[in-house]
Amino acid sequence: MTLLAQIPPLQIPDIAWSAISPELVLFGVGILALLLDTAGPQRLQASFLVFGFAAAGAGYIALSTEQSVLPGLVGLAALGQFALTAIWRDRPRLLSALLAALGFAGAIGVTTWQWGAYSGRLVGADAATFVGTDSLLGGMVAVDGVALFTRVTVCLAGLVTVPLSFAYAEERRIHRGEYYPLLLFAATGMTLLASSADFIMVFIAIEVLSLSLYILAGFAKRDLNSQEAALKYFLLGAFSSALLLYGIALVYGVTGSTNIAEAGRAFSSLDAPQGMAVAAMALLIVGFGFKTAIVPFHMWTPDVYQGAPTPITGFMAAATKAAAFAAFLRVFVGAFAPLQWSWTPVLWVLAALTMLAGAILAVVQNDVKRMLGYSAVAHAGYVLIGFVAVNRAGVSGVLVYLLIYTFMSLGSFGVLALLERRNHKAMAIDDLRGLGRRDPVPAGMLALFLLSLAGIPGTAGFVAKFAVFRAGIEAGHAALVVIAVVSSVIAAFFYIRVIVAMFMEDVPEGVAAEAPLAPSTGMSAGIAFSAAVMVAFGTVLPFLLVDLADQAATFVS
Amino acid sequence: MLLALLGLHAVLAAAAPAVSRRLGRGVFAVCAVAPAATVAYALARAPAAFDGAPASETVAWAGRLGLDLQLRLDAFAVLMVLLVSGIGVLIFAYCAWYFGPRPDLGRFAATLLAFAGSMLGVVLADNVLVLYVFWELTTVTSYLLIGFDHEKGSARAAALQGLLVTAAGGLVMLAGLVVLGEAAGTYTLSAMLADPPAGGAATAGALLALGGAFTKSAQVPFHFWLAGAMAAPTPVSAYLHSATMVKAGVYLVARLAPAFALLGGWRELVVGVGVATMLLGGWRALRQHDLKLLLAYGTVSQLGFMMILLGAGVPEATRAGAVLLLAHGAFKAALFMVVGIVDHQAGTRDLRRLSGLGRRMPATFWVAVVAAASMAGLPPLFGFVAKEAAFEAYLHGGIGPIGPIALGGMALGSVLTFAYSARFVWGAFADKPDVARAGHDGAGAHAPPAAFLAPAALLAVVTVAIGVLPSFAAGLVNAAAAALDPAVEPGTLALWHGFNLALWLSALVIVAGVALFARRREVEHLQARLPSMVDAAQAYHGLVKGLNRGADRVTGLVQNGSLPVYLGTILLTVVALPLPALLSGGLPTPDGVIAESLLQLAVIGGVAVAAIGTVLARRRFAAVLFLGGVGYGVAILFVVQGAPDLALTQLLVETLSLVVFVLVLRHLPENFEVHHWRLGQAFRRAVAGLVGVFVFVFVLAAGQARTSPPVSEAYLAQALPEAGGRNVVNVILVDFRGFDTLGEITVLAVAALGIAGLVRARRRERGDEEPA
Repeated sequence: MTLLAQIPPLQIPDIAWSAISPELVLFGVGILALLLDTAGPQRLQASFLVFGFAAAGAGYIALSTEQSVLPGLVGLAALGQFALTAIWRDRPRLLSALLAALGFAGAIGVTTWQWGAYSGRLVGADAATFVGTDSLLGGMVAVDGVALFTRVTVCLAGLVTVPLSFAYAEERRIHRGEYYPLLLFAATGMTLLASSADFIMVFIAIEVLSLSLYILAGFAKRDLNSQEAALKYFLLGAFSSALLLYGIALVYGVTGSTNIAEAGRAFSSLDAPQGMAVAAMALLIVGFGFKTAIVPFHMWTPDVYQGAPTPITGFMAAATKAAAFAAFLRVFVGAFAPLQWSWTPVLWVLAALTMLAGAILAVVQNDVKRMLGYSAVAHAGYVLIGFVAVNRAGVSGVLVYLLIYTFMSLGSFGVLALLERRNHKAMAIDDLRGLGRRDPVPAGMLALFLLSLAGIPGTAGFVAKFAVFRAGIEAGHAALVVIAVVSSVIAAFFYIRVIVAMFMEDVPEGVAAEAPLAPSTGMSAGIAFSAAVMVAFGTVLPFLLVDLADQAATFVS
Repeated sequence: MLLALLGLHAVLAAAAPAVSRRLGRGVFAVCAVAPAATVAYALARAPAAFDGAPASETVAWAGRLGLDLQLRLDAFAVLMVLLVSGIGVLIFAYCAWYFGPRPDLGRFAATLLAFAGSMLGVVLADNVLVLYVFWELTTVTSYLLIGFDHEKGSARAAALQGLLVTAAGGLVMLAGLVVLGEAAGTYTLSAMLADPPAGGAATAGALLALGGAFTKSAQVPFHFWLAGAMAAPTPVSAYLHSATMVKAGVYLVARLAPAFALLGGWRELVVGVGVATMLLGGWRALRQHDLKLLLAYGTVSQLGFMMILLGAGVPEATRAGAVLLLAHGAFKAALFMVVGIVDHQAGTRDLRRLSGLGRRMPATFWVAVVAAASMAGLPPLFGFVAKEAAFEAYLHGGIGPIGPIALGGMALGSVLTFAYSARFVWGAFADKPDVARAGHDGAGAHAPPAAFLAPAALLAVVTVAIGVLPSFAAGLVNAAAAALDPAVEPGTLALWHGFNLALWLSALVIVAGVALFARRREVEHLQARLPSMVDAAQAYHGLVKGLNRGADRVTGLVQNGSLPVYLGTILLTVVALPLPALLSGGLPTPDGVIAESLLQLAVIGGVAVAAIGTVLARRRFAAVLFLGGVGYGVAILFVVQGAPDLALTQLLVETLSLVVFVLVLRHLPENFEVHHWRLGQAFRRAVAGLVGVFVFVFVLAAGQARTSPPVSEAYLAQALPEAGGRNVVNVILVDFRGFDTLGEITVLAVAALGIAGLVRARRRERGDEEPA
């Protein structure tokens, strides 16, 4: 008794779990899917166990904090997963896919809740539960507009990738249990990256997403291209992570802090040697440049995009870019803005190189997937215009661009996946000849995505491009915008070449008639959803998206 | 209402394919409803617009980007709407007779109507960005229409050429418009023009905007795409490539000119390009054998003419330009329709194979004569009124040396115009004994049905009517010109101005034109003999080919798929950027001691030797062993430093990696690859060496950079008093960072879960595949 009395009551630190609630949802669902897959035939029992633990936890929270909303949701989720497992206990892949989709949807829901509190529409106790707006988790995580917007972008990308993958992976016989958990873990890393307020968190998040993506890129392990993609991605990725870490070390050395905002403040009041600060920024640019596929760190992009399973390519191109750019923005535009004289010229040059190289290299590609890989490089260059603008319009332009690019990219890769499924091979431009007449709907969808990628007015891609171009001109980078225009013209050439092949050329003589396309429900749904979002937010109601991005263009300091 | 009209175009276009399945060619009648309604509305609104009360509408779209759907119908827009939608109705009527029954009529009608709607959008837009959006939509629909006969390779190439040239120009224009918008602080066209920005940015923006106008309106040196575009079905040429789309550039220039003509270089550029285009187009038209190409070059020439008038920002010329816009729309559309009829009835439009058609289809002949005479500028027709007004405008002088150049160009251009107009009528309808002897006497051609000819005939009647009674059009023209430039004074239009200079000039033009036509064979021979100048079309093909070839080379060079090259690029960038920065303050020198004891020094020496051995080793196994040596050396350093736990961990990790290495090495060749290419080898060594230098400098610099005391001191000080432990590492693991350890254990659990899954998957693959 006396012994016990001597021990001071345990101080449980007040951890703002709410700040990373979307990550918790994604990660939790990922673990659950992994667990159910591992349990095999005993998955119903495992699911019941999870249900039991979750229900007990929820009950404990409800009793101890007298809250009802959060425990209620947790309990509901636990019950839901048990019900799903009970229904589809004999179809583990379908169960996994459903759980993954629900996980992404749940994360979007939680983020929306956070957004409500962030934008001031949700006030009171519930708001405080889900969002704190200043220092969170010891300044590790930021819940600000950029983070929230990017989380939604990433989760939407995941939500579309799941249905696109299902039939594709089944067909290629690469449908294994780890697929969906890895997708969820990658998304966890991405959302975490977007909300990292500390360099350590940036590094951890990058590793989490990279490790998952290395495996996913090589998921078609019997396909040499896929193996090559995974190996190249892994080796180069490891190097670039190391360089990023070097940069972080130098930042810490110069400023004595790994907190991004604090490092920025220390940088701006620097009177000591500038050389190390510049070196630190250069190394950070290399690290982020690799993840965002900026020239000259882009070289892995076409090889990896070509080799990876097509839905994964779409996901990587869209979501990785969004997350990495969010962190890139937070560090440079957010924290290092006072030092912009030193880094904008570098990024200006890299942007110009990226736009031109991406477009020029894409011109000669015959493999459509590879062509889209190079075009992804060019698009990273356009995003950089909003970046070097270093103003609010630039940040919101980048956010809009990345969201719209997500759907353009997922949509076009999704259609390709659909075609690959039928032809059992990679698609060259010549293979698309006459597609418009045989399968007008997929061809029309692909044409829509390609026109949007080309930035033809009236499409979502135009709104995106215009947003960053305008920010660039506002910031006085007219020459860069002119380069972007030149690059767009070159790019239009190869996008339209595909459309010409589909709609204006005929199937060459002597080619055997192909089997009719049999799109799976999931693929059709994923592609149609992408197209619908693009038309809705790009053509009909762009102001909704633009206003939202403008509200989101803030960083915590 | 304006928006509703645009919507009507879109809805009918979307419905057209379905309608055509039910009604066949009747789909054109349905489609014509949209432009007809537009004309009716424009006429109803015209009085108000003439009084300076334009109809305008605004719909929010992406307001924060300056993109709002702003539409405005002022007097100049009324004039353009009459051209776009009025001629549109006639074209749809014409289409119904031109096409035989074919399955893709619905698609054609839909695209044509979509084009009509886009073009309507261009002339109604009151926001420069919305204007750009519609502008590019006309480009895209035009592309689809040119390539409508997609079985023909030439049609596809021509379509792509038109698309690339005009879309590229459009993007340049977009950059210009955005610069103008930023300079003016508004993207609303009317507001921008009412209070035009000045200064360098505005000048640059205005000149960039001209890039779009010049490509769209086929000005030199971009005129070649219009000739190629003649691959389109004739109704498309009549509508897009004479009456409407090519006038979009002229339209934009006309809008901008009053505000920006005095900015540096604008007037000189526009007038210079206009004169060059007018002359080149006319000259080229004189050697064409294809009647449609003849008209196409004639259109190029006339577009130059309009550019001279509407682009100079001279009030009187602006008014003359408005007259010419109307007159040209009427006669050129009629002429294209006539070509279509000739082609349809006689099966060819090559003037070397046409003879005697004047006798066989007299009604068509007379329509053609009226329209061509109007184009040639003969009284008493609309074209004559327009030309008189144009000469009149520049005879007054007062704009410096540009005036005489413009006047001379217009006069010379008019001579050429007269000659090719005559050549057109002669080529299409005359009795040519030599052609008839060769068997092409047109015996099979008979007069077209009246309804087929009716649209062209109606335009011819309008040409005559306004020519005889020009005051019909005076109100429209005055109001339209005033809407462009408030400085325009209302004037009268008249056939007869008395014996003034302009009339003498016209007479001179006619005499010279007759002479030129009479010597047509010599002109043709002369053109054939002249060395062809650098052709813009060749430049375009060279550019496209060069892009392809250049891209091919670059790809082969930088993207060869080699991992070492990729890695080398990244590493070289690292060496190139941060290394100089790190060295900028001189090489960092380590402070303090390098080694604390002789033993330490010896171990460090051993580590260094092992590291060098790793690099030099030829056999993989040896390299791995050396690498292990480095690791074990570091472990010994830990022991010397008094950290046995750490050393133990290091030893374990090192041994484990050694084992993994050996396991992997079983599958690899014994020796490293030997590179026979010396330069490659040297390059690799250089990269490796530079990276080594970088890491060395980095470590030195990082070691220097400490600003706060290391955390280890605090741990050492607190381990015993606070946690009661002598082993600091253990205290850290279980106490100071206890939660971290908990986290790590969780991670291990998850990893175990994953491994279990892998093992199961392995088992599954052996046999019992589960269903999805």
